[in-house]
Amino acid sequence: MSQPAPAAAAKRRPIIRRLPGRRARFAASLAVLGPGIVSGFADNDAGGITTYSLAGAKFGYDLLWVILVTQIALFVTQEIGARIGLATGQGLTGLIRERFGVRWAAFAALTMIAANLGSTVSEFAGISAALSLFGVPVAVSSALAAIAVITLISRGSFSRVQYFFVGIGVLVSAAYIVSAILAHPDWPRAANSLFIPHGTFNGAYMLAVVGTVGTTITPWGQGFIQAYVVDKRLRAEDLRAERIDVLIGVAITNVIAAFIVIAVAATLWTTGQRDIQDASAAAAALKPLAGDVASTMFAIGLLAASLLGLGVVPLASAYTACEAFGWEQGVDWRWREAPAFYGLLAFFILFAAVFLLIPGLPLIQVMFSAQVINGLLLPVILVFVMRLAGDKRLMGELVSGRINLALGWTVTGLLILMSIVLVVTAFSG
Amino acid sequence: MLFLSQAIGRPVRDQNGDPIGKVADLIVAVGERYPPVTGLVIATDGRQIFLPWTSVESLDVSGAKLRTSILDITKFAQRPDEILLRADLMDKQIVDVDGRRVVRVNDISLDEVEGSVRLVAVDVGAAGLLRRLGIEGPFRTLGRNLKVPLPERYIDWEDVDPVESSIASVKLRVPHGALAELHPADLASIIDQLAPKDRAGVLASLDDEAVADAIEEMEPDTQVEVLEDLHPERAADILEEMSPDDAADLVADLSDVARDEILALMEKDEAAEVKELLAYPEDSAGGIMTTEVVAVPATLTAEQTIDRLRDLEPDAETIYYVYVVDTDERLVGVLSLRDLIVAKAATPISDVMIKEPVAVGVLADKDEVAQVVARYNLLAVPVVDDEGRLEGIVTVDDTLDAFLPTSWKRRLPRPFSRSSR
Repeated sequence: MSQPAPAAAAKRRPIIRRLPGRRARFAASLAVLGPGIVSGFADNDAGGITTYSLAGAKFGYDLLWVILVTQIALFVTQEIGARIGLATGQGLTGLIRERFGVRWAAFAALTMIAANLGSTVSEFAGISAALSLFGVPVAVSSALAAIAVITLISRGSFSRVQYFFVGIGVLVSAAYIVSAILAHPDWPRAANSLFIPHGTFNGAYMLAVVGTVGTTITPWGQGFIQAYVVDKRLRAEDLRAERIDVLIGVAITNVIAAFIVIAVAATLWTTGQRDIQDASAAAAALKPLAGDVASTMFAIGLLAASLLGLGVVPLASAYTACEAFGWEQGVDWRWREAPAFYGLLAFFILFAAVFLLIPGLPLIQVMFSAQVINGLLLPVILVFVMRLAGDKRLMGELVSGRINLALGWTVTGLLILMSIVLVVTAFSG
Repeated sequence: MLFLSQAIGRPVRDQNGDPIGKVADLIVAVGERYPPVTGLVIATDGRQIFLPWTSVESLDVSGAKLRTSILDITKFAQRPDEILLRADLMDKQIVDVDGRRVVRVNDISLDEVEGSVRLVAVDVGAAGLLRRLGIEGPFRTLGRNLKVPLPERYIDWEDVDPVESSIASVKLRVPHGALAELHPADLASIIDQLAPKDRAGVLASLDDEAVADAIEEMEPDTQVEVLEDLHPERAADILEEMSPDDAADLVADLSDVARDEILALMEKDEAAEVKELLAYPEDSAGGIMTTEVVAVPATLTAEQTIDRLRDLEPDAETIYYVYVVDTDERLVGVLSLRDLIVAKAATPISDVMIKEPVAVGVLADKDEVAQVVARYNLLAVPVVDDEGRLEGIVTVDDTLDAFLPTSWKRRLPRPFSRSSR
């Protein structure tokens, strides 16, 4: 029996690497699309498409600067999340429990649950809004959505169909880019707004800012990248590659978000349709490319984006909460072994499905509000993330340096300020 | 009995009853079955001071009372066998060896055993969680009225195995003694629940055979992960301990470079067997068979055969059947252990063996193999090549896999499967 001496173990070469064949084929294709890219795509879910559309219709090109700033902030927070995962090999709420105790962990988990409940409702609303374009009543579509997500999760088929959804997401994103170009937008104005803040500051403007931030940087996304890095078993030496992965993911999100805003600004905003009340109004932004089938294209895109989100968000939420409290988590436990996990999962799906049954619910507004809630709750999670990232004992050699920490705290500080300003403007009317 | 959470933050009074600070932490010396409390950490004026337990007269929910009024303000230096209950154990992950689960410590239970206050159990139940959150009272009342007791779950300290990365300051080498006693399937389940970082410590503490047995019980994905984290030399040693069919399945999942490196590090004989098995398709009889088979020449007597078995037994996977081969290694008969034992010592085995036994070809589909095993009620079926030479056997447990549904885990996105934490 030979046990490696500690020194030898530290210097060992990671020679045994998984063969991308047979059982590991899916994992291998996911390895190409790293966690940064996957979560980048998931950011452009139903809430994302809707929020960018609302912002573009109401404020034209004015909010493009927010998108650029948000993307920089997203890079900072995702990089830190990935780094914590690399250094500790643990999930976010579990770490919060260990470093700050059970009360803070409960607080963080409840914050996550509240934000994710909003996101789940938003994805359900996305499905209903998409199907409403084909005349399907909300009661029917929310029931269909619940059945679809339960089937996807319980049959374990999500990993197979997610590429289909991502594929549709790519196509619809491309459709927005082409539509934007065909609509002859005011390019100089767009470029100018991207780098210099424009517009008049008021409550509605602030709300749109928080919604845009909230749909891009999310509490669940922060937990997701960390869990994903841990699960992919990446090591400290993978940090460089992981940064590039995050950067690519952020760039993709950035470009798509900007083009949605530009496409909407060049169509709806220019023609004076500044209040998007339903999905068919938002779909008009795709008319320069798709003409009469713009609605159908928008509906399919929204549907795919919502289903992609639904495959991830409820699972991630149940997972996060169980991790904080030390309960059995994951779908390979039986119902009786992990009642809390499955109970939470069921709660998320039922809550969202029943919530949508409220008569006369403005679906577009629901999706947008969920993003604002996410934006408001985000700083809570980021404070924990930043405190963990600066903890030398925990992070070892991966501890955030001074510049990195300063950037992270600046982002967190700005988000806190933004939330305070929104709340104050909301109350002062 | 006292819960740690009930003592933390309570006042510490000296022998005159004057408050001098608050209870910040307790120190225990591990090693004994129930570790005795050896010291008290007091928070006073923004500092933490340490007192040996001999200076403490009592500790309960009202706080601590000291025997002395003179405080020695020496700074606390943690000895290698000591842990701080609050800092090192509270909220951390532990392995519940008895329940085969990885759980979080919600609270810590102390009690008087053999004349001293000791750590006796960790609380991992809902009651402990609610107590920590300060809302146990209302829930108790609610539970009483609804006649639903609060779920309580305690793990005796004897059944607790620390998770290393979680309990970072446990400098002592964690023996993981309790884990070594587990059935390989239970050990596999625990290793599966541990974070990759924590697996290393557990694996290092176990011997090659225990690790090999546990690996055989794991999902293929986890098997490769576990192997990835080992030094190649150790990985090769562990593969040698595994039965060749399981080792071959595992090695087949590695990259070409890693496979060649590992095989080169293995003993020649074992490596050759694995290589041979690698040549067969995964779903064929050859792909699931093991080459560890008891084969004896037809010329032996019953007694000689039993002697042969005594020599071979340690290595072979199953000896319920003894296969009989001719000089060209062709399968000519099979003996059950029962036939062998009831036969007279001097009887040639060719007289008692069943001639022309049921066998499958190396390229037979594994479903077909399973059907043969089921139809003839066999514990194992021999596998032969085109010439009728005995190549190996497929045991009944390996054929079961053909009928069991693939578990959910392998079909789900990985961040949500159990092993990630």
